[in-house]
Amino acid sequence: MKWKRRDWMLVAGAGALAGTAGYEKLAERRPTPRANSPVAIVKASSYSVELAAKILEGVQACGLDVRGKRILLKPNMVEFDRSTAINTDVSVLAAALEVFEKLGAAEVTIGEGPGHRRDTWDLAELTRYRREIPRFDARFTDLNRDDVSAVQGFADEDEIWLPNTALRADLIVSVAKMKTHHWAGATLSMKNYFGLVPGCVYGWPKNKLHHIGIPRSIVELNRIFARSFAIVDGIVGMEGNGPIQGTPKHAGVLVMGSDLRAVDSTCCRIMGLNPARVEYLAMSEHLGASLESDIEQRGERIDAVRTNFQVVGEFSHLRLES
Amino acid sequence: MIAVMETNALARRLQFLRDTQNADGGWGYFPGKRSWLEPTYYAALALGGPEEARAWNCIRAWRNPDSGWRPNATVHTSNWTTALAVAWACARGETGEPFARGVEWLLGTRGEENAWRNRLAARTGLVDLGRNVDLTGWPWLRGTTSWVEPTAHALIALKRAAAKVPSQALRSRIETGEKQLLDVRCSDGGWNYGGPRALKIDLPSYPETTALALLGLQGHNRAAMQPALDFARGYKERSRMAAAWLTIALRNWGVESQAAIAPELPAGGDILVTALEAIALTKPEVLKAA
Repeated sequence: MKWKRRDWMLVAGAGALAGTAGYEKLAERRPTPRANSPVAIVKASSYSVELAAKILEGVQACGLDVRGKRILLKPNMVEFDRSTAINTDVSVLAAALEVFEKLGAAEVTIGEGPGHRRDTWDLAELTRYRREIPRFDARFTDLNRDDVSAVQGFADEDEIWLPNTALRADLIVSVAKMKTHHWAGATLSMKNYFGLVPGCVYGWPKNKLHHIGIPRSIVELNRIFARSFAIVDGIVGMEGNGPIQGTPKHAGVLVMGSDLRAVDSTCCRIMGLNPARVEYLAMSEHLGASLESDIEQRGERIDAVRTNFQVVGEFSHLRLES
Repeated sequence: MIAVMETNALARRLQFLRDTQNADGGWGYFPGKRSWLEPTYYAALALGGPEEARAWNCIRAWRNPDSGWRPNATVHTSNWTTALAVAWACARGETGEPFARGVEWLLGTRGEENAWRNRLAARTGLVDLGRNVDLTGWPWLRGTTSWVEPTAHALIALKRAAAKVPSQALRSRIETGEKQLLDVRCSDGGWNYGGPRALKIDLPSYPETTALALLGLQGHNRAAMQPALDFARGYKERSRMAAAWLTIALRNWGVESQAAIAPELPAGGDILVTALEAIALTKPEVLKAA
């Protein structure tokens, strides 16, 4: 049997004892598993519909109160290829910004740290973020090149350096894309937090996370950034060889919630994937809900919007039966 | 007319860099931010003079006990920016103990793919990573895999060091690093971050990493490099950072880039890009390998 490349990356990483959290803010950031986490599924047939109203519907269905909060919107802005759907669509990001401002957030900023490309501003131009989001330049922080602070305890590491802009936010909104992923199975709101890790310390790509292990790194980042909300852009997602070279897939939904594990588990079910077999979801029981019985589905029912996404062969075991 | 526009564009950039130098002598990636080694290095190269001397004094204190350099005053782990510090020390003629130990740090740093267990796995057919694991470049951080950009920076630093202090160990490591860079070239003729294939599918190159690879490969056989140079020259790049890197790299190979440096300052007050553009406009030779 040949090793998978993913296994090789794990072998290449160092093994050590698990670290423990010591950063003073971590205790308050550590989430409490929620019973009956609400997750809103809202239909949106295209990017031309009134998306602010759709996002407002989902935010209110989840009971999120953002009054007085400093919110950081974290889109998924990775690379640009006009032939496919890699990045969170600009209209979803703009609508989220509009909604949180209207709901009384003290501040709404945007931050991203792409994993491969160093010219983040150019990506923001290509994705139309700079042109279509009001005052984009004033709102945006390149998280790859932000000032950083140490957070104690990250997997086997003593610490991880993270951007101050993200650490200071009262709430991070993972405005993610619904995609399959050729190493992780699926990339949704939790995996989107790889973009919070600064390239100026860890490089492009952020290979340290691969050596620690992709699922473990996802879980650790979500433990640290627990004060979160998710808006997953599944209007047009990506199937097959995601997160970059896959094929656009229309699912026509926005999925939202404060429990990112519950949101991602719901997204998996919509995509026809079994969340229990997605490694980082299986590993993150302490972070939130995943079983359907523990998630309070609001808005549309999963079976009303289910759209099976193709996965690469290595992940065929993720497919849900029937 | 073009010369006047270039002069104005350069003057704006140099003034911006003077205005944004931090009190400690370094530069942040953006105005008002803490100093980091990378933007400090390129801003200092662009300005020269007393600003460069103040900047060097700032980063000199960032050398770690392991002889590598930290990327800023607070992140205590030595990383890829050690190569920039060594190249800078060499250019300043500071070839004393910090320089020599920095060279040793680079010589002792290699990609994790080259670790014995991974070479063994490759040789026994347990893994096919699509790259030759007998070759090794440099990682962003110790304990991780080699990638194009840190390898390019390390090659520039070690080539400068080899010109000052010739040694077989340096020559051998440079040769292996060059082979590693050539091994991870994309099928389209350029380089991306260092992964030319994923799941056996060819991935495209990027202009900025193609330019950096060409800088790292300075001095390599010209005829062998000509296709890569022709490919790089074909980029009509809109990214400000990529256009600057392409101009710097190609001019160091004696080739004119088609990528134009825009007259206005970059978005967001990007100090790194501003500095690279200033270097591209006037003195790309400051990034000569030797």
